[in-house]
Amino acid sequence: MRRLTFLWLALLLGLTAAAADRVSWDITPRVTAPGQPFRLQINVESDVLLGGAQQAGRDIRPPRGMALRLSGQIVRSDSNEATLNYSGVAPEQEGEYLIPSFTLRFARKAIVVPEIKLIVSKGVAFRRSAQARAELEIADRTFYVGELIRGTILMRGGEQEMVVANYGLESAAEGFTFAVTGDRLPLPDELGQGTQTNFELTPIRAGESELILNGTMLIQGADISPFSNGGRDRPFAFRRRLTVEHVPESGRPADWSGAIGTFAAETPQVSKEQPEVGEPIRLRAVLTGAGNLDRLITPELLGGEQWDVLPATERRRSADSQRVFMYTLVPRLPGKLLTPAIRFSSFDPLTKKFSRIEFAPVAVTVTGSAPAKVELITADPAAPAAALKPPVTGLASPEPDRTSAFFLVTPAAPLAASTTFWSGNGLLLGSLLVLTAAVIYFGYLAAHPEIRIRRRARAIVRAALHQTRSQDDDGRASARRIVHALQVGSAALLGAEDEAMTQSDVERALPGASRPLLDDLFVRATSDRFAVSAESGVLSDETAARALLRQLLPLL
Amino acid sequence: MRFLASIFLGWCAVLGAGEGAPSAAEAAYAKGDYASAVEKWSEEARIEGVSAGRLAALGNAEWRLGRKGRAMVCWERALLLDPHDPVALAGIRHALNAGGTERPTLSWFENYAMLLTADLWLILATLAFWVAFLGVVVPRLRGRAATENNHRARMAALTVLALCVPGLLGSHTLSERAVVRRPEIALRLTPTQLGEPLNGVAEGDVVRTGRPFNGHIRVTTAAGKTGWLRTSEIEYVRGDGLPADLDQKASP
Repeated sequence: MRRLTFLWLALLLGLTAAAADRVSWDITPRVTAPGQPFRLQINVESDVLLGGAQQAGRDIRPPRGMALRLSGQIVRSDSNEATLNYSGVAPEQEGEYLIPSFTLRFARKAIVVPEIKLIVSKGVAFRRSAQARAELEIADRTFYVGELIRGTILMRGGEQEMVVANYGLESAAEGFTFAVTGDRLPLPDELGQGTQTNFELTPIRAGESELILNGTMLIQGADISPFSNGGRDRPFAFRRRLTVEHVPESGRPADWSGAIGTFAAETPQVSKEQPEVGEPIRLRAVLTGAGNLDRLITPELLGGEQWDVLPATERRRSADSQRVFMYTLVPRLPGKLLTPAIRFSSFDPLTKKFSRIEFAPVAVTVTGSAPAKVELITADPAAPAAALKPPVTGLASPEPDRTSAFFLVTPAAPLAASTTFWSGNGLLLGSLLVLTAAVIYFGYLAAHPEIRIRRRARAIVRAALHQTRSQDDDGRASARRIVHALQVGSAALLGAEDEAMTQSDVERALPGASRPLLDDLFVRATSDRFAVSAESGVLSDETAARALLRQLLPLL
Repeated sequence: MRFLASIFLGWCAVLGAGEGAPSAAEAAYAKGDYASAVEKWSEEARIEGVSAGRLAALGNAEWRLGRKGRAMVCWERALLLDPHDPVALAGIRHALNAGGTERPTLSWFENYAMLLTADLWLILATLAFWVAFLGVVVPRLRGRAATENNHRARMAALTVLALCVPGLLGSHTLSERAVVRRPEIALRLTPTQLGEPLNGVAEGDVVRTGRPFNGHIRVTTAAGKTGWLRTSEIEYVRGDGLPADLDQKASP
């Protein structure tokens, strides 16, 4: 009985011992440098047959920053042992990293693998340039919803390893759309041997998001053996926290339609520079630059009085980093026209400012003649008339009844062209000038009466000189005229009354005059006022008397 | 005071008298029947006379019909009548910005002249002249010395007259411009029938005119190019109303 009990206990212990699976793991090297590749091998020994398995180690979850990938497994269906190999790349920060416990799932049994610890230390000598490695290039800044973010994964070969290929790029980013735009592209010469993969990200919501990229590159040793390709996988993993915001609303132009980036508008081209009225031409505008070209809404081009604009067509060639807008324009009027300007606003994520992109108008010479009545043409003939957009024009609404602030009644002709205006003013001016001159003249005469007196005296003296003696004149009449002239002339010279002038006064005015001649002239001139007297005896000489007058005349 | 108030109210009433039901021309214009609008406004202008508003409206309709030359003549003449007419100003601005027409840059005295109309400048200058002239003449006629007020009035009038001089000069140069009425013509080097073409000018371009010779006018374009154009190819901005009908045959 004791022996039976012992056997039973031994069998029970044996069965219990068989149920305990043995799992061991090994990391080479045990302590790695940051970014250094390592190899993880997990050995499983079970008391039961494990059976077949596919991707038994797929449940492994490496810690943040560590790239780990199942690179091979040895599992036979008739064996209770299995070996799984992983290749990995240590994180960039030093420290102790724990690969959480996970389950290996075989056909007949699931075996739990305990935590695996990897120590990353900078104290380990590792020459990074000797190994093949992957690098992520993406801008380190705040991104904006809708923006096109271009990134690159550079898989660079080292001195001892070459990157032959890469595959399996996966993105686990939330809040982004991800697209690979170029895979397995050769690296630029300055970066050495390797390949690169280009991708594009577009944030679809604001906030903090984590970009996770995983992939594998196929590397090969520098020494190529003819009997073995020596290629092996090396995973890479990137986790990058990105900040995404909405495009700011402050200062956002009304015509901003989602363009984010730095764009440049090339000079537009027209298919024909001298079309006829009504002949459609194509306006081709090319937009270049870095940004979300594909997401741009085609700028709307409104027709006007000069152009009808048919719906735009476009060709998207994202590979060329350009966007081509094609418009069909129909000239409505003849003459030298400018094509409508294409304008839109864009947001520059680098400067965080809005800018305006404008394609310059193109000068087109339209030949032909305009129709008498211009109807508005729409892209949709079925659209109701009320829905028609008014033509874009810089003309103001006519106000034919508007009265000028300057004239309530506008003259038919300019005042400057009016002969009445100029002749009226001229006549008035002339009259006033004449009047003024007359006033000045007579005023001067009034101020200087001697002028008038001497003028009168000159006239009387001249008259006396020119008068001839008549037949019945006995000499008295002519003597009276001469005496009167002498009196007037002498009075003008002496400033006295002419009637009061005597022979002595005449002598004062005409020094050297013959006194007997003067006496005779005065006697004869005034003889009729008095009684008849004896003749003086000196018969006055008519010629001498006139000589006196001639002598007097220049003095006046 | 009451008298002044009644005058002001009457003036306002006259200014606002234009607002009413749209005329047939305005209705045609609104419907896009610009040919009818031109016809009706031209008829109104012939019957009732031209005004700045009517000319500007006519210019709009002509422009929409593609007759740039006639439109520019209308707008420029409207500005001669009322330099601040908004419709004409908008039309010219539109023609220069989007219409492909060119207009010489206005000089400082031309801009100054556009403060008032040419007629107002002339009236102002004439009044100032007469005040100054009478201020000098009347004391002489009366045979008295000029008073202090007379001196003040004389100086004020002479100042106004001096200020009017650039306005008159600007008004003159503004009215001496002309509008190209023929499409696709070129400046000629010589005023001859077969003169060598120099630079193209387009219908609606405004040019400065110089001396006439041999049926041609020497003109300077907005770009500063000088040459000769036929008299029949341009129309002066100054004029007594509607733009000339160049298609009409001259009566024998």
